[in-house]
Amino acid sequence: MEDGRQDAVLADYIRHTAPVFYVQLAPDGRIMEASKYAESLVGRPLSSEYFQDLLVDFHSAVHLPSLFQETSQEHMLHIQTRSGLPQSLFFHFQSLGQTFLALGRLDAEELEGMRREVVSLNQELSNATRRLHKQKAQLERLNAEKNHFLGMAAHDLRKPIGLVLTYAELLLEECAGSMPSEHTGFLQTIHASSAFMKRIVDDFLDVSAIEAGKFDLDLQPAFVVDVLEQSLTLNRLQAQQKNIELQVQCEDKLPRVMMDASKIEQAITNLISNAVEHSPTDGRVGVSISCDEQFIIFSVRDSGPGIVVQEQERMFNPFEKTSVKKTGGEKSTGLGLLIARKIVEAHGGRIWIDSQTGEGACVAFSLPIKTE
Amino acid sequence: MITEQIYQDYLNFLLAGKRVECGRIVRHLLEQDVPIKALYTELFQKSLYAVGELWEHNRISVAREHLATSITEGLLHLVYPRLFEKVHYEQGKKVVISCAANEFHQIGGKMVADLFELNGWDARFLGANTPLDHMLEFIQEEKPDLVGLSLSVYFNLASLKAGIEAIRSSFANLDVFVGGQAFRWGGTDVLKHYPKTRYIPTLDQLESEISG
Repeated sequence: MEDGRQDAVLADYIRHTAPVFYVQLAPDGRIMEASKYAESLVGRPLSSEYFQDLLVDFHSAVHLPSLFQETSQEHMLHIQTRSGLPQSLFFHFQSLGQTFLALGRLDAEELEGMRREVVSLNQELSNATRRLHKQKAQLERLNAEKNHFLGMAAHDLRKPIGLVLTYAELLLEECAGSMPSEHTGFLQTIHASSAFMKRIVDDFLDVSAIEAGKFDLDLQPAFVVDVLEQSLTLNRLQAQQKNIELQVQCEDKLPRVMMDASKIEQAITNLISNAVEHSPTDGRVGVSISCDEQFIIFSVRDSGPGIVVQEQERMFNPFEKTSVKKTGGEKSTGLGLLIARKIVEAHGGRIWIDSQTGEGACVAFSLPIKTE
Repeated sequence: MITEQIYQDYLNFLLAGKRVECGRIVRHLLEQDVPIKALYTELFQKSLYAVGELWEHNRISVAREHLATSITEGLLHLVYPRLFEKVHYEQGKKVVISCAANEFHQIGGKMVADLFELNGWDARFLGANTPLDHMLEFIQEEKPDLVGLSLSVYFNLASLKAGIEAIRSSFANLDVFVGGQAFRWGGTDVLKHYPKTRYIPTLDQLESEISG
C-alpha cells in the first residue's frame, strides 16, 4: 500500500472507529474536528466547543499553550463523560502549524486491572449474599424451633400453675381465718407467685404465637374508647393499690377503626399497667386518645423518673435490662411492651416512647383509621 | 413450566444486559412455583451455555459474557430465600465446593453447591480463584464428606491437577468429584490417575448420586 493511502486509512480509522480521543484544535483550544469516539465519550458533537471546557480541572493546572509546547510527553487529563463520571486519558499534543492535534488514549492495563477487580468484587459480594441467605434461613429455623419449644413448655405449664393459683385462692377465701397468720402469709405468697407465673406463661404464649406468625387478627370496626373502658376496669384496681390517680382525656367524636378489640385491649392494659408500675405512690397517670386525619393516637403518660433516650428503643426488646425500675417493687415479665408493639404493628400502626429524664414517660401508639 | 418462549425472552434480555427484565421473568417463575432445579438447568445453565457459545464464536464480547454471568449470579439471590428455606440438612452430610486457583468462572460451581443444598447437604462454596492453601485449610476445618472442584476453562487444568494432588496428599480418603465446562470436549482421562476422584458430567447425574 502506498504511504499516502496507508495514512488515509489510518486517519479514517482513528476518526471513525478506534477508541482514540482525537481532536484538532485552534490555538485557543476551539475544537475544529473530533473523532467519533471523542464525541461518543462526551455524549455530544464537539465542533466549536473548547477543549479546556471538557476537562475536569480542579486546580486550573491545565494551561493549553504549555501543553502545545510539550509535545514530547504524555499528559494525563480527565474528561467529563456523558455518564457523569470523569474518565482519565493520556494525551499527546502535536503542532500542525496553525492548528494542534490532541490524541488521547485509555490506560489499557489499568482498565484490565479494574475489570478484574470489578468481577472479583461482584463474585465476593454474591458469595457473601449466599452465605447470608443461608445463615438467615438457619437462624429462622432455630428461632422457629425455640418458639415451638417455648410454646409447648408454656402451654404445659399453664394448667398446673392455674391449679395452684385456684387452690391458693380457695384456701385464702375459706381457711384464712382458721389458720395461723404466718400460714396465711405463706398462702398469700403462693397466690402472688403463681399469679405472676401465670402472667409469664401467658406472655410467653403470646410471644411464641406472634413469632411463629400464628397471630391472627379478628378485625372489626370498633371505638378505641370502648376498648379503653374495658382495660380501665382492670387497671383501676392496680392504680388504687398505689393510690394513683388515673386521668382519662378523650377527644369527642373519635371515629371507629378496624381492630381486633381483644388484642388492642391487651396492648392498652399493658401500657397503663407499665405506667402505674413506674409511677410513685400517690402519683398520676394520664391516658389520652386523639386523632388526626389518618390515625387514632393513644397515649399513656406516667409520673415516674422517665426513660433516657438511649434506652427508649431497648424498652421494646424482650427481657431487656435497663435503668428503668418499678417504683413499688412490682414484678414484670419484661415482655409487655414487646407484645404491645407486635399487636400495634400487626394493625398497621406504630408505637413509640417520648420521655425526658425526670419528667415521666409517655408511651403512645397510632392506629390507622380504616373502616373496611 | 419454562416454555421455549420464556427461555428465548430471558436469553434476549440477558444478552442485552437487561437485568431488571431478567429478574421479572425469574420472579414470575418463582411465583408460579417452578421447581428450583428447573430454573437452574432450563434457564440459568441453558442460557449461560448459549452465551458461552456465542462468545466462543466471537458473536459477543468478553464484557457482554461477564455481564450475563454477573446478572445470572445476581438472579440466584432471588432464588435463595426459597432454596434455603426448604433445606433441612436431613442427609447430615457436608460438601466443600471450590474453583481451581486461577479459575475465575465460579457460577457453575455455585450452582452445584446449591443443588447439594436442595438435596439436603450442607454445601460450603469457596468461590472463584481459591488459593490452594486456603482450600486445604478450609477442608481441614470443615471436614467435609466430599469435595467438588469446578473447572470452566481447560487452560487452567494444571491448577486443577495441583489441587487434586494436594487433596490426595493431605486427605487420602476424601472423595473428590470434578465437573465443569472445561471437560465438554473430553480431557477427563487425566483424572483416572487419581484415586477416589471422579468426573461428573451433568447436574442430573450429580443429583442422582447425592440424593438420599
